[in-house]
Amino acid sequence: METTDLNLFVRTSEETLSDWSRDRIVHALRKETLIDEETAEEISKEVEQTIRKSGVRMVTAPLVRELVNAKLIEKGLETARKMHTRLGMPIYDVDSLILHPNKENANVPHGPEATNLTLAERIKKEYALLSVFSQDVADAHMNGDIHLHDLGFIDRPYCSGQSLEYIKRFGLNLPHSLSMAKPAKHPEVLLAHLIKFAAALQSNFAGAIGWDAINIFFAPYLEGMDDNDVKQLAQMLIFEFSQQAVARGGQAIFSDINLYWEVPKHFENTPAIGPGGTYTGKTYGEYEKEAQRFVWKLFEVYKEGDGADRPFFFPKPIVHITEKFFRTEGWQDFLYHICDVASDKGNTYFVFDRGETAKISECCRLSFKLEERDLRDAKEPWRMRYCALQNVSLNLPRIAYVAKGDDARLFDLLTERFVLAVRAHKEKRGFLEKLLALGEDGPLSLLTMKQDDIPYLRFDLASHLIGMVGLNEMVQIHTGEELHSSSKALKFGLKIISHMNILTEKIKRNEHIKVVLEQTPAESTSYRFARLDLRYFSPQSGRVVKGDIASGEIYYTNSTHLNVHAPMNPIERVTNEGKFHPLIEAGSISHIWLGEAQPTKEAIADFVIKTFRYTKNDQIAFSPEFTTCNRCHRTSRGLMDTCAYCNSTDVDGITRITGYFTKVSSWNKGKLGELKDRYRNEEYFGDTPYAINE
Amino acid sequence: MNTVKIFYKDDCPMCPMAKRLKDSLIKQEIAVSEYDVGTADGLAEATFYGVMALPTIIIEDDTENEVNGWRGMVPKVEEVINAIKGS
Repeated sequence: METTDLNLFVRTSEETLSDWSRDRIVHALRKETLIDEETAEEISKEVEQTIRKSGVRMVTAPLVRELVNAKLIEKGLETARKMHTRLGMPIYDVDSLILHPNKENANVPHGPEATNLTLAERIKKEYALLSVFSQDVADAHMNGDIHLHDLGFIDRPYCSGQSLEYIKRFGLNLPHSLSMAKPAKHPEVLLAHLIKFAAALQSNFAGAIGWDAINIFFAPYLEGMDDNDVKQLAQMLIFEFSQQAVARGGQAIFSDINLYWEVPKHFENTPAIGPGGTYTGKTYGEYEKEAQRFVWKLFEVYKEGDGADRPFFFPKPIVHITEKFFRTEGWQDFLYHICDVASDKGNTYFVFDRGETAKISECCRLSFKLEERDLRDAKEPWRMRYCALQNVSLNLPRIAYVAKGDDARLFDLLTERFVLAVRAHKEKRGFLEKLLALGEDGPLSLLTMKQDDIPYLRFDLASHLIGMVGLNEMVQIHTGEELHSSSKALKFGLKIISHMNILTEKIKRNEHIKVVLEQTPAESTSYRFARLDLRYFSPQSGRVVKGDIASGEIYYTNSTHLNVHAPMNPIERVTNEGKFHPLIEAGSISHIWLGEAQPTKEAIADFVIKTFRYTKNDQIAFSPEFTTCNRCHRTSRGLMDTCAYCNSTDVDGITRITGYFTKVSSWNKGKLGELKDRYRNEEYFGDTPYAINE
Repeated sequence: MNTVKIFYKDDCPMCPMAKRLKDSLIKQEIAVSEYDVGTADGLAEATFYGVMALPTIIIEDDTENEVNGWRGMVPKVEEVINAIKGS
């Protein structure tokens, strides 16, 4: 039968109705799969036969494609079938996405833009698994041995650390933009440039955008401004960042601002850039007072909260505590100030740069120790642009189920999974290299711009993150004890992470690829791994996963954290969790869940100093809980079902999910399970008076 | 009973001295455990004790509490023996 004999219409992907043409099948097969003409002809005839027999008058292009795929499978042409795959979603899923919120990332609100983002992510995720990664890597992700983070953003690097100096020096001059702005002359304009640039960067990175030493780099613009104007600028900065929910996918820009009370040593003698992008003739060390004025005002704004007294979700303020901090005039008052915010609103992150180290926090917990080259770059800080290309997490409990108590097998499997994660990194790196090679005409043109003679993205310096989920459960399965149960269990946990640390060094040395360990935030991964292991490794997994199996609110403990449910003095938690931190180069954190407690600023300050002096912990944050009322727009302490002021039931709970605050209603089931389990340190921070200068 | 823990690495300049200290202590019938931080076992133990410099010598009691330590340096044999006896 000739194709013209078939009275059939095809709804094509170009939104047209075409007459049936068997040749189109042949053409697509030849072009997309490179199979020989004879086989293509044969398949097209068989498909036509099937359609003719069914008697339908209208078919869709996706249906025809699937029928062709079925024939390819029948003929054992699996590679050709993969190449011929159509990416897409069932109508049921699209319907559901449009109607219901996405809970994989609590930072994505619900709306048409968010739906677009999720739909695009789904297609790109499929594309990544079929086309970017090898079968082994894709299968390991699918079955939950490893997790490839942000697959929906396969065509961009993962996260980044930026310098305000770049836009101060070069203005806002983005590829393909309609207008070019010269370096800002006024602080408000610089702020506008910062926000625009952050939004542009968000479109080119999957995750967090961190800004280094923002109060120090703003300082030359603040000379001559009175305190009220500086406060106004601080307010604008925080509101502008936190209200960027009109950007990509209706998502707020996941942003960190790194702040210092002192001018860190590596910027002390750096020539300062002022209005108009010109050098002021002074060094940043000479702008300490202006920088301090700005950071003080920023925390005044954090303390006040938003229009409904809620904590700001973004930008996250990360204060670096260094040896010099304690030698800088006014440190006590400033520490009390930021501790007051930590207790009241929870915003403050305390990052500890001990000894001569310095760090730039980028993602939720990602921080890099500055190396020699970085310290050289610190003289021209616009060069200090960092990024991680991808994050791959290992499902540690899975390894323990498979090892069945055999030590040698356990470490062998750990190495095997680690090597697989490195392969995943190489594959994504190769893909990004291809995109970047397209230069200004490619999809990542912004990252290839060369305003300082090198591409904006310093690809050769990029990191590749390997995270871990559920060390606590891995140790529990393998030794019978959880990390907090005994020093023997804790030491075994340290041995696991030491093994991973040694592997990163080997990879760096032998393969010249910068692989670093990171504490994965695992907002949805700890839930996903637990669910998959419950499916594949029951009944053993049922005894180990945390949360409530009956309600499905299950999870594995994040990264190297201790069981969140274990009652524990917070000093003990911070000390023991901190033992892992020196092994995890890309940054770590310990959370202190406050619940309804509101410790004094003195108590928090005392805790911060003790953590700095007596532990190896890299970073801590205090997390209070709030209930905000959608009717009277007031916010009270603690998670409650009704508003404490007007009794309305139209309320939202707010607390820290992983590395950021958000509404509890947007959390996935795993995190909800964890929230119920969290041991709140409500009694530890009692009424004991503290004097931080003792 | 107090024990001595010695942390070292193959490529650290002062570590051979620490190994000699170990030999001397063993001759004096003092219990010594040594840890190569180039291995997962050694690195884990070092991290547990917050060892950030090499070599490090730690004396600990029965309950694994550190009673004395030298970080990034090698003490004389007598200093170690006195520390053990004095505690």
